[in-house]
Amino acid sequence: MKRYNIFYFIGQAFAGLWRNGVMSFASVAVLMSCLVVIGGFSLIVKNIDLNLEQFGNLNEIVVFCNTEATEEEIVAVGEQIGKLDNIASIRRITKAEGLAQMKAEYDVYDDVSEENNPLPDSYEITYVDTEKVGELDYQLHQIEGITKVNNRLDLATSIESVKSGVMLIFVWFLAILSVVSVFIIINTIKLSVFARRHEISIMRYVGATSWFITLPFIFEGIIIGLFSSVIAYFAEWYIYSYIETMVMADLQMISILTFAEIKNTVLFGFMGLGVVAGIIGSSISLSKYLKS
Amino acid sequence: MIDFVNVKKAYPNGTMALKGVNLHIDEGEFVFIVGHSGAGKTTIMKLLLREEKISSGQLIVGGHDLAAMSNYKVPYYRRELGVVFQDFRLFPKKTVFENVAFAMEVVGTPRKKIVRRVPAILNTVNLAGKQDSFPNEISGGEQQRVALARALANNPKIIIADEPTGNIDPKMSLEIMSLLMKINKLGKTVIVVTHEKNLVDYYKQRVVMLKDGLIVEDHVGGMFQ
Repeated sequence: MKRYNIFYFIGQAFAGLWRNGVMSFASVAVLMSCLVVIGGFSLIVKNIDLNLEQFGNLNEIVVFCNTEATEEEIVAVGEQIGKLDNIASIRRITKAEGLAQMKAEYDVYDDVSEENNPLPDSYEITYVDTEKVGELDYQLHQIEGITKVNNRLDLATSIESVKSGVMLIFVWFLAILSVVSVFIIINTIKLSVFARRHEISIMRYVGATSWFITLPFIFEGIIIGLFSSVIAYFAEWYIYSYIETMVMADLQMISILTFAEIKNTVLFGFMGLGVVAGIIGSSISLSKYLKS
Repeated sequence: MIDFVNVKKAYPNGTMALKGVNLHIDEGEFVFIVGHSGAGKTTIMKLLLREEKISSGQLIVGGHDLAAMSNYKVPYYRRELGVVFQDFRLFPKKTVFENVAFAMEVVGTPRKKIVRRVPAILNTVNLAGKQDSFPNEISGGEQQRVALARALANNPKIIIADEPTGNIDPKMSLEIMSLLMKINKLGKTVIVVTHEKNLVDYYKQRVVMLKDGLIVEDHVGGMFQ
């Protein structure tokens, strides 16, 4: 089997893109926009994950014992907690440790001493299954000697539901924008095929294989994909850096990944998506040539 | 070389283009296929190029059974044919050299061989010195000679010419026919589909006449009746 020169196909692909300049430009613009939006949503999801991690122990419950409780009663509370299902770990914080922690965090409590310490003893509990946390909360309330149960269930639920909502929108956008991107590439390649129909018919008569005929168009799709992904990368960089600066200045509570940390993921992700969209688009528009 | 055995061809719209054609063409023969519009000439061309499949019968070309041939083998089969069309089908933005070289590029011929062979072919069709011209800079006859050179580029065994003189003046027509005769003398089988009585009668080659999808005459040294 004879070897074809790859540069011949790439040259033909560029010629095709040039010949249908307006449509090629439209394809790049649409695919680039789709990639930026898809990338934007991915980054939102990634940052939510980061913040969830940093909220840290959302699967943590703190229970406070009665301030009047004796040492034996406090130990008994700990033992009862330890017998419950869904408990991953349990750690006692004595009133003295509690005060030390408070003093370390807030200097306004300097006048509070061990003698007039108003804090009760407490237990920090981590649990295994978030879905059963309601049950655990109820069981803790039933233990004698516990006066207060603090959990972060509401916060965890809120963040999880925001994440689920964003994910749902992300998946929809991903599906719709992928279809739009592929559709516009199909049209561009179809125009290119139409412009070269005369050439293609001659190719067929002189014995060109289907692959020889279709490869330039596949390359055309790949070039559109690559070109769009590189532009999308820089656009995403600019937009993300702007948001990053804004968040860092005004919303210091929220952690945000720097673009440097994610640039390779964004670039190669975009390139992968762009090339796949290009190949799918051109393959669909050329399916009849590949079959014959 | 070419065998039509009781070949019938019906199109999806019900038209019966060939109604049982039996034709044998030997290697190195020169054959005119003649007939009026609708006689079945174009269908014979399409079947030989494997653009269409026969409906029944058997068609063997150069040892290939075209009815049994799978689609992926068709390009390789077509490399054994050289085709010339009435409307030349040249690329207007390619030079004469590039138009001929194109046929070799698509079959993966190395560049060095292309550079060596194209001028030699252009010389065979009397176009030496025109290789850098564009199709719109040369006459109709010269354009058809470029098409002929392209048909010869891959050194096919069979040349099929569909109304090769239909778009050129009578003087040029004689020149094209002379070239086809010259190519035939080089050992190629040449099939010319035409309805030009004067040319057919002048060259006195084998003439196969079609009428309503059947061969009605087949004479060596025949005339267009």
